[in-house]
Amino acid sequence: MKRRKGWRRSLYHIALWIVALIFFAPIFWIMLAAFKTKNDILATPPQLLFTPTLDNFIDLTTRPNVSGYFANSIFISLTAVAIALLVSFLAAYAFSRYNPPGTNFMMFILLSIRMVPAVAVVIPIFLMYSALGWKNTHFGMIMFYAMFSIPFSVWILKGFVDGVSRRYDETALINGGSRWHVLFRVILPQVGPGLVAAFIFNLIFVWNEFIFNLIIGGLNTTTIPVSFSTNLYSAGGLDWTFVASMTTAYIIPPILIVFLFQRYLLVGMTFGTVRGEV
Amino acid sequence: MQADTTDSSSIPIYVGAQQSTAWRRTLARLTHALDNSRLFPALLIAPVMIFFIVWNVIPTLWMIGLSFYKYTLMLGNPRFIGTDNFISLMNDAQVWAALGRTFTWVVLGVGIQTVLGVLLGYLFWGSRDMPGRRLALTLLFAPMILTPIAAGVFFRLIYEPTFGVAPFLFRQLGMEVNFLNDRNLAFVSVLVVDIWMWTPFMILITLAALGSVPRAELEAAEIDRIPWLKRMRYIVLPNAKFILMLGILLRTIDSFKTLDLVYLMTQGGPGNVTDLIALLLRRKAFEAFDLGWSSALAIILLLSAIAFTSIYLYILNMSRRQEVI
Repeated sequence: MKRRKGWRRSLYHIALWIVALIFFAPIFWIMLAAFKTKNDILATPPQLLFTPTLDNFIDLTTRPNVSGYFANSIFISLTAVAIALLVSFLAAYAFSRYNPPGTNFMMFILLSIRMVPAVAVVIPIFLMYSALGWKNTHFGMIMFYAMFSIPFSVWILKGFVDGVSRRYDETALINGGSRWHVLFRVILPQVGPGLVAAFIFNLIFVWNEFIFNLIIGGLNTTTIPVSFSTNLYSAGGLDWTFVASMTTAYIIPPILIVFLFQRYLLVGMTFGTVRGEV
Repeated sequence: MQADTTDSSSIPIYVGAQQSTAWRRTLARLTHALDNSRLFPALLIAPVMIFFIVWNVIPTLWMIGLSFYKYTLMLGNPRFIGTDNFISLMNDAQVWAALGRTFTWVVLGVGIQTVLGVLLGYLFWGSRDMPGRRLALTLLFAPMILTPIAAGVFFRLIYEPTFGVAPFLFRQLGMEVNFLNDRNLAFVSVLVVDIWMWTPFMILITLAALGSVPRAELEAAEIDRIPWLKRMRYIVLPNAKFILMLGILLRTIDSFKTLDLVYLMTQGGPGNVTDLIALLLRRKAFEAFDLGWSSALAIILLLSAIAFTSIYLYILNMSRRQEVI
């Protein structure tokens, strides 16, 4: 009886693994393609067994603009998210502790920014940036992405600050600490998980963002996703070796993040509104 | 020599200490100055408000203003035309067709994702002792963390008519299919990618929803030998429904916004069978540069997003009142 149960249990686990592998299969396929020669990619029938080669990645490093795309992606996403987090943490504390009039309305408006289709948001920004000459500047991109990361960060951090008892604030104040002390020495260390979740998910958002960069960015500020849509073709056809190696290099960081920060995934994908164990 | 070193080191320390107490007192006065001030929360919120006003309020007001003008970027100055843009929008067959397609896209996409996600999520429920669970979940959740642009690239390789895997498999069955260039297939082919990307999200949501069901109640029901269907109906569903609803709503909103994936895979074609509302807006605004008209459409989308958000918050508050989340 017990043995049979163990056997059924492993069958169940195998089934779960198969489900996971099915979902990963398309990604695996492009990763395989990154190690194929051009002829192997273009072969019919598609090749599952082949001699792997690193040429595509070597080729990637010699392409003129690729390092620039990676540098842009990394620089813009890190700076924008850092700014957004600092600003959002301050506001989240104020919203949570002082509950100023209009807090609910403000939280609502912030959330709705994230619900609007990106193209609808980018039209007025496009007009403004054209007028101010901010198009194709790092400043313009960073500030815009910071603005777009703020709603999510405020939502998630307010939830976490709400979770820290006001007793901590009161104790610190009575013992002669200032409000700044409360903010950075008492509250900040306790909302660590919220900061990590907000950081990770805003980073992924900016890392993956496409349409804003396409429209208000330019040659100096092109990030990797936009480079996909503009550099797909070379010599008449789709440049598959480039595409395969580039996507492989590009998707490794997000996948690593999911592996390392799995417990933040839920809170991250739902603007911090849903918490729980997965 | 020795005296020298003690002299030169002790004096600065002494002076420094005195300076530092004075400095500390000033600092303390400064840092405490705002403790009980009403300005303090305002100061904390100020940066967010500046971002919000500069990057949101001003541009949005600008856009609202522009929606009453005839304004094409290349063709001279804006001309005031009142509500004509909105009227032309309402009478535009293209807009209605795109809205219709978007509606089909959302209903089919989110519907299938929800059904698959709930089934698979249920399957994964209670898999804590699974070997390599963390790695398996990473592989499972990887699609939703990717940019739709990358997903679009993968599936262009997979759908590629001459050497792609999918046409190859269909050829083995004796069918010659061209997924992205066939007017009858393009929509479904892109939708499949969307389903592949977002079913994991619904699995995640389902896992969270099932995780919120109180264990004690479930165990009690099991001991009382309450049938599976009744357990679902009376214990699991009432507890899990809020998180599920939030998940479905989030997915609906995101699905309504779909742009990148379709843009990369088909650009709305062939013909216009995959032309969703966001793609139409992008084309009108940034290829035709008909900014007045596009602003009007953007405002409509903005209002619908606000409506969606209200529903979302309504459900969220309802669930919080019942202390489920």
